[in-house]
Amino acid sequence: MDQRLFINLSPGNTYLDKLTGKTKVRLFFAFIILLIATWDMRIIFPTLLVSVFGLYSLKSKLKSVRAITVFVILTNLFNLFLIWVINPDYGATICGGSTVLFQITSFYVVTGETIWYFLVRFCKMMATFVAAMTFIQCITPSELAAGLYANKIPYKVCMIVSIAFRYIPDIMRDFTNIKISMQARGMELDSKRTTLWQRLKQNVLILVPLIITSFDRVGNIANAMDLRGFGKNKTRTYYSEHEDGKGDGQMKILYTALYLFIIVVIVLRIVKPGEFLVWYPFQN
Amino acid sequence: MENKKKSIGALLLGKWDTKTIVGIAIGAALFGVLMDFGGIKVTTNTSLTSAYVVLPIVGALFGPLPAALTGLLGNTIADLIGGWGFWFDWSFGNAVAGFFIGLLPIYGAKIGEGVFNVKHAIIYAIVTVLGVGIGFGLVTPLLTVLFYSSELTVTWIQAEAAIISDASVAVVVGIPVLFALARRNARKTNLSKED
Repeated sequence: MDQRLFINLSPGNTYLDKLTGKTKVRLFFAFIILLIATWDMRIIFPTLLVSVFGLYSLKSKLKSVRAITVFVILTNLFNLFLIWVINPDYGATICGGSTVLFQITSFYVVTGETIWYFLVRFCKMMATFVAAMTFIQCITPSELAAGLYANKIPYKVCMIVSIAFRYIPDIMRDFTNIKISMQARGMELDSKRTTLWQRLKQNVLILVPLIITSFDRVGNIANAMDLRGFGKNKTRTYYSEHEDGKGDGQMKILYTALYLFIIVVIVLRIVKPGEFLVWYPFQN
Repeated sequence: MENKKKSIGALLLGKWDTKTIVGIAIGAALFGVLMDFGGIKVTTNTSLTSAYVVLPIVGALFGPLPAALTGLLGNTIADLIGGWGFWFDWSFGNAVAGFFIGLLPIYGAKIGEGVFNVKHAIIYAIVTVLGVGIGFGLVTPLLTVLFYSSELTVTWIQAEAAIISDASVAVVVGIPVLFALARRNARKTNLSKED
């Protein structure tokens, strides 16, 4: 479980790691907004490739990503399957037309449009996931706060995001500790010896102390921050934000281009909306 | 009257000191992690999640706006580590639901001072169901159309599942937790009630 939460606390030394927080945040949002704004495979697929390349460039941490990637692929496939169960001809309204490839029953048909839509949707979800993974892996909580602050977000909000990020590994640590100490007192969590219902009930019992200790800590953290003068001035600076390097200049060109491209995509969608939501290449 | 209005406005906003900021942050982190790992799947992307216990606690301790922010940021964090894509329509639905759940101090339930009785619990239950209903039944589908267009059939099914599961968690688990918290804080104040 803790392997699935890889919040970085110290920056690495690859190309992406060396960028400033500002650049990382802007790049990430460019990718996410682009992926939300479009349903066009011609845009989504290159974005997916670039994201995968970005994740691959963070070589040292690839191992921890593998487990969650499998999990995410399975969840997404399951989601698509559920959509198909609810409405097998889902692609008809979205791609326009339904070319039946083969039939299971009169209601459950597999159409080319639905498959294409599922493919687009899957690529879209995976691209978002890979971009998010790359982002989490290359940024530290304080860099994230600095990056958000550089984009004109009030620093108190930045601080909330930063503390929340920093606190996630602590939650996992507390969870494990509470679980171990409860097991030491005789609580059975072994899947072979207890029923599923019992295990669920016992997991709920772990949550109560977890939530209470977490909120008890609020006072301590707040006092520590107050003692260091948090919130006294209207602006602040960040220790983790360094001068722009060579990579930042190159990336600045990339994200400026991306933002311009996003504007074009959105304006085109409003001014000249296509007949259907998803572009379908095999239309006759 | 003027004075009273002002105080309600202040209660709605909550006190924006360092404690509130840390409270929102920790609430959001808990919300995010519990949303990803502390639940049983119901339908696509919706689960019977224990995350909804966090919102009444944040609301009780800090007020409605902090609870709303906890829902908003918590859901975004859950999306970030969950890997199912970003669904900001749901984040805002959660924010609205969080705002309603967090209305506790407005109708006089002061958990921080140990004040929470059956009357408050009933109001809380009604407001929570209402808030979750508005959040997921109205705000989320509206934003789904705005942001993502289409997808509405799936959103509806998810929204119904989310309303039922989240409201029931917030009410069934939330009320005992609020009672426990109130009792805990009442002990801390070290004062006994005079008859």
